[in-house]
Amino acid sequence: MVELIFLIPFVTGILAFFLPKAVGRWSLIGTGAIHLVLSLILWDTRPKAVFDQYFAVTPEGLLSLLVISLLFFLISIYTVSYLKESEIHTENVFTGFMLLFLSTMTMVTVSDHIMVLWIAIEATTLASAPLIYTHRSSASLEATWKYVLICSVGIAMALLGSVLITLSMDIGNVDVALSFSAITGVAGKLDPFWLKAGFVFILVGYGTKMGLAPMHTWLPDAHSEAPSPASALLSGVLLNCAYLGIFKTNKIMHAAGLGSFSGAILMVFGLMSILAAATFIIKQNEYKRMLAYSSIENMGIIAFGTGIGGIGVYGAVICMIHHSLIKSSLFLSSGNILLGYGDRFIKNTGDMVSRMPKTFLAFFAGFAGISGFPPFGIFIGELFIILGAFRAKHYIMVGIFILSLCVIFAGFANQVMKISFDNSKKTIRLKEKPGLVWPQYILLLTSLGLCFFVPESLYQTIVDAISAIGGGF
Amino acid sequence: MTILQVDTLLTLVLLSVLFSFGSSRLPRLIKLVAFQGIVVSMIPFLLGHDMTAGGIVFTLATIAIRGIIIPMSIITAINRVDIKREVEPIIGYNASIVCGLLLIVTATYIGKNLNIPAVKDYTLLFPTAIALLVAGMFLLMSRRNAIAMVLGYITMENGIYLVGTTISVKARHIVEFGILLDILAGVMIMAIILQNIKQTFDDVDTAHLRSLKE
Repeated sequence: MVELIFLIPFVTGILAFFLPKAVGRWSLIGTGAIHLVLSLILWDTRPKAVFDQYFAVTPEGLLSLLVISLLFFLISIYTVSYLKESEIHTENVFTGFMLLFLSTMTMVTVSDHIMVLWIAIEATTLASAPLIYTHRSSASLEATWKYVLICSVGIAMALLGSVLITLSMDIGNVDVALSFSAITGVAGKLDPFWLKAGFVFILVGYGTKMGLAPMHTWLPDAHSEAPSPASALLSGVLLNCAYLGIFKTNKIMHAAGLGSFSGAILMVFGLMSILAAATFIIKQNEYKRMLAYSSIENMGIIAFGTGIGGIGVYGAVICMIHHSLIKSSLFLSSGNILLGYGDRFIKNTGDMVSRMPKTFLAFFAGFAGISGFPPFGIFIGELFIILGAFRAKHYIMVGIFILSLCVIFAGFANQVMKISFDNSKKTIRLKEKPGLVWPQYILLLTSLGLCFFVPESLYQTIVDAISAIGGGF
Repeated sequence: MTILQVDTLLTLVLLSVLFSFGSSRLPRLIKLVAFQGIVVSMIPFLLGHDMTAGGIVFTLATIAIRGIIIPMSIITAINRVDIKREVEPIIGYNASIVCGLLLIVTATYIGKNLNIPAVKDYTLLFPTAIALLVAGMFLLMSRRNAIAMVLGYITMENGIYLVGTTISVKARHIVEFGILLDILAGVMIMAIILQNIKQTFDDVDTAHLRSLKE
């Protein structure tokens, strides 16, 4: 039953390669809808998997799964309108790999075995690389090459980390299945030296995929070269999947009593990412790259919050959910900008407020949300993280954190103002059809709604997930 | 197989690391990496891990993939599309060899100080694994040629395979998944071929793409 949720998109993905264009488009939406229904059922019933050695429904997995489902469904609606406007030669390949990408990411969220998780994360690289190469330009080829090479090295590091964890099991004379849940149960007996080494390699490995600095260099290229719906998926969901791998390993570390070690490393990597984003976002001249750097910033915030522990972890999970919702809406809006102006440089856009008012509304609201303005969830998440850091007495780090956020806001705001209000001579080639703006509105409204009202089961799931890594109030 | 013989083989692998740092032409680099691949896949067999029929088939398959299929496909790739044979170093060959020597010394020193029960008798096993890993990363970072980078990646992967198959009995089953890494390497090779095809038809394609700009 649990396995169905990634098998269905896998099968439809394979089919989409051979189906005619129109059917392929509808299969995107259809699969998205089925996937959403299935993940709601999983959320409600929390069943045991058929292959329960390899797969399990965990609270942290469910959180990511629900985000993936909702995002994919809305993105698929957008994609259908997007494909009508843009001309992509190999549309079947595009829709097919979108579905395979969905399948692999879903597999990440439900996998419990260390190696199955590793395979699933590697499979996300393979399924998403063709999406980045969709436009077949030399720039997109370079981006794909960078993406595959850097992420492969990262994935290899993660494999080494997994091997070292089994070594720590051998030395500690532990004989259990190689699943996260089983190892967490006996974590106290593992050899601490090799466990620490394993964690560091896994953090570096999956951190590469998550976009933590200094391993983030693939991210801006890949996000700016991929077609906008694919960028939205990459940024909104893929990064969370990689974070899930770190989260699960961190659970073992906490169970083994090494939480302060893993926390310190996570905080350092988190701060480095925020600083890197702050340095690069100021001088960005392409809007999609700017959004990509903002993703690096948010992944840094999430890692930083996770490292702090306590209330900070709650903040990190809130940030993760809202970042997915808001950032994917921003990438979809950037797709409209690209279709409308036909140019990826900020200097060639402008006056969006009167040329494309509906997209402007979505883009500007998304900008406010991602910068941490009050009616959106990121504000609450960042507030919790800052509070948590003060409670844990990391004054210098929190100082750097707040300063970087201000710099990023300034840089981001400057560019958004240019896009929105500067003069422009361009004629807009795009009619803002409902399918091209409503998905963004719904994503933003969801983020807004979750800020004022958090359903009891959602709150409980978050608390269940974070209690294992030292989070809570 | 005695300890001495295994260590002799591993010494050859360490030497091949030095050679690969010093080699300027792709074909030789490919042969060196193929040699490393074959030795590394044989090691678990030589260590006398109890071999099931499945294990033997697996060893043979790894040797075939690492020693024959991947090197051959890379050679085909360079022959088919006109790729430069020069590895285009960022760090010169002599400096690279010095780095390699330092690397081997450090790896041996670290290997000695780590206590791993499974490989206590084989003094060179862990140092070789570390050396291969770091050497692969070194090649990845210090060579501009795309094929040389892929070869660096494969070297690194050989190092991980050596760690995985030898230090822990449990890890053996895990690293069998390492075969998937080979698939990734294959994908990279394909990417290079595509890139070169792209370069060949550059003017045609880009003009075409510009008119269709998103």
